[in-house]
Amino acid sequence: MRALFALTVANIRSYTRDRAALFWTLAFPLIFIFMFGFIFQGGGGGGGLTIGWVDEDGSQASNQLREAFAAQSGIELVDATKDDALAQMQDGDVSTVIVVPAGYGDGIAAATEGTGGPTTVVVYTDPSQSEATGAVFQTVGAVLGVVNLGGRPPLVVPQPETLQTENLNFISYFVPSMLALSVMQVGIFAAVPLVADREKLILKRLAATPLRRWQLVGSNVLMRLLIAMFQAVIIVAVGTLFFGVEVTGPWGLSIVFIILGAVAFLALGYVLASFTKTEEAANGMTSVVQFPMMFLSGVFFPIEFMPDFLQTIARIIPLTYLADALRQVMVGGAAFAPLWVCALVLTAWLVVCFAIAARKFRWQ
Amino acid sequence: MTAPVAADAVISVRGLVKRYGDLEAVAGIDFEVGRGEVFGLLGPNGAGKTTTVEILEGLRSPDGGEVTVLGHDVRRDVDRLKPRIGVSLQTASMYPKLTVTELIDLFRSFYQRTRPTAELIDALELGERRHAQSQVLSGGQRQRLAVALALVNDPELVFLDEPTTGLDPAARRSLWDLIRGLQADGRSVLLTTHYMEEAEVLCDRLAIMDHGRILEMGTSDDLVSEHFQERAVRFDRLEGLAQDELAALPAVVSVKQDDDEVLVYTRDVGPTIGALLALADSRGLEPKNLGIRRATLEDVFLALTGRALRD
Repeated sequence: MRALFALTVANIRSYTRDRAALFWTLAFPLIFIFMFGFIFQGGGGGGGLTIGWVDEDGSQASNQLREAFAAQSGIELVDATKDDALAQMQDGDVSTVIVVPAGYGDGIAAATEGTGGPTTVVVYTDPSQSEATGAVFQTVGAVLGVVNLGGRPPLVVPQPETLQTENLNFISYFVPSMLALSVMQVGIFAAVPLVADREKLILKRLAATPLRRWQLVGSNVLMRLLIAMFQAVIIVAVGTLFFGVEVTGPWGLSIVFIILGAVAFLALGYVLASFTKTEEAANGMTSVVQFPMMFLSGVFFPIEFMPDFLQTIARIIPLTYLADALRQVMVGGAAFAPLWVCALVLTAWLVVCFAIAARKFRWQ
Repeated sequence: MTAPVAADAVISVRGLVKRYGDLEAVAGIDFEVGRGEVFGLLGPNGAGKTTTVEILEGLRSPDGGEVTVLGHDVRRDVDRLKPRIGVSLQTASMYPKLTVTELIDLFRSFYQRTRPTAELIDALELGERRHAQSQVLSGGQRQRLAVALALVNDPELVFLDEPTTGLDPAARRSLWDLIRGLQADGRSVLLTTHYMEEAEVLCDRLAIMDHGRILEMGTSDDLVSEHFQERAVRFDRLEGLAQDELAALPAVVSVKQDDDEVLVYTRDVGPTIGALLALADSRGLEPKNLGIRRATLEDVFLALTGRALRD
């Protein structure tokens, strides 16, 4: 264990002293995020808020509430039944749905006389659309504030409901995708330094010590996982702080997928390195493989936008599933494949690549 | 050719064979190294020295023969052998961005039994460079670091593959002192070299290798006197003295001339020099840089293979 950790520390030292490598580890995903983040920040929402309006009460009170909302600037109300309104929200035609439940008018009357508690209106928002959600509750708060007239106890309170829609704003789509891309690069290039060390006969020198091969590989994997986690923290922090991306999913599951993805790509990297002799060749080979993956995996745009034959390729490559899984888990993105399928595909890649690399990787 | 049997052998090699495809890199060699001995494998590049050493270190498996190192069969018992030996490979490169101290500490983590880092740095005179990354070290410093790494586990037996190749004379001499120090500490050393001077200075015994075979084995003195009873009278090349005339001088065995110098091999130096000076004087010539030379391992190698060692 001592040797494993000492070698991991040595690897990290070598890595952090390689300024170019360090720069690209951190800068590459950030450049993309900032670039695309600023490009797409202005577009999309357009400032206005379209609300699906469902009046199940039909009373005078509910009509007054509708007018109060309609009077707000930048608000457009679309009347519909609840089912229609939620369907429109799924399609992205409205960004939120407000339901005034039956009995609203009576509830207000009762609350005014002090014979009942505050009544509610139901507000559906999409947790992954944090900007819109904020604007909605601001508006709802302003309108209900007028209705309540500072009365105590309040007559109406909003009852928040969430509806997971497939309409991620671009940056929310992009941040987990960039994380997946970084994890891929951290993993797939992991074997290149090992090829360099083999070339320089460092591996041979290590072979003359009691150090075990699993310790050598283990330290490489450990170090790469640490880098992946470090990158994840930075990418998520930038996404959250600068672009208001709201990471809703459970952290534990995100970490599981980051690790699974990193290890699968590590194994793939070892396979690629198995068929090369020099550091340059390993670097070239790995770049050639990772570049098309980058564009065919739905990292930059949804897979549905691609022609059929490219979609077929997207269905095979592991980055598709890692990015998909991270989007689902972190920001509630639409599923390309169920999470268990993502986990299964990544595990399959891991097992197959590990088997090949274990046989083919040359140590001397 | 018989290998002298050391009383307490740390290395025992019998009929070792290693093939790479059709090439027989090591073609059946036998030798033993005694405890506390500095043993040299001397030969030109491609003689099979490195292959032999790497088999002894457990880095390559032999195709034939019996190889025992510190009592361990290198084929079966290499895991128990590695903690007890120290190794410096021919190419002494290490993680370029780690410092001397960091590398020594790293290697210490591989072993149960270790020497303190500070002690190694002092012993190898790396104190001034302890915080330097290995990529900025000079050739001599790099070799000393390689030796330091070979000593972290306080090994009984140290393998040094071409430890001074590419070093300037001062760095080479400092490394020689170091290797003698290893022996003084009671360690056994197996080193390979293609510098005959190095073999003469450092090795208690040595084996001359060529084309995967051991041609001769013994102490440097034994090897030289076995092949050359006579000494050589040498002087700068001189026009006007024919080879026949030199060969006819008293006690002369043979004469060798090249573009730079003349070597007159003789059983009795006095009469040969006297007659040589008389002959030259009679022609009005004077031999420049006249001297008497004992034959060297270089001459032995030349006599055994017909080739010079460094070609």
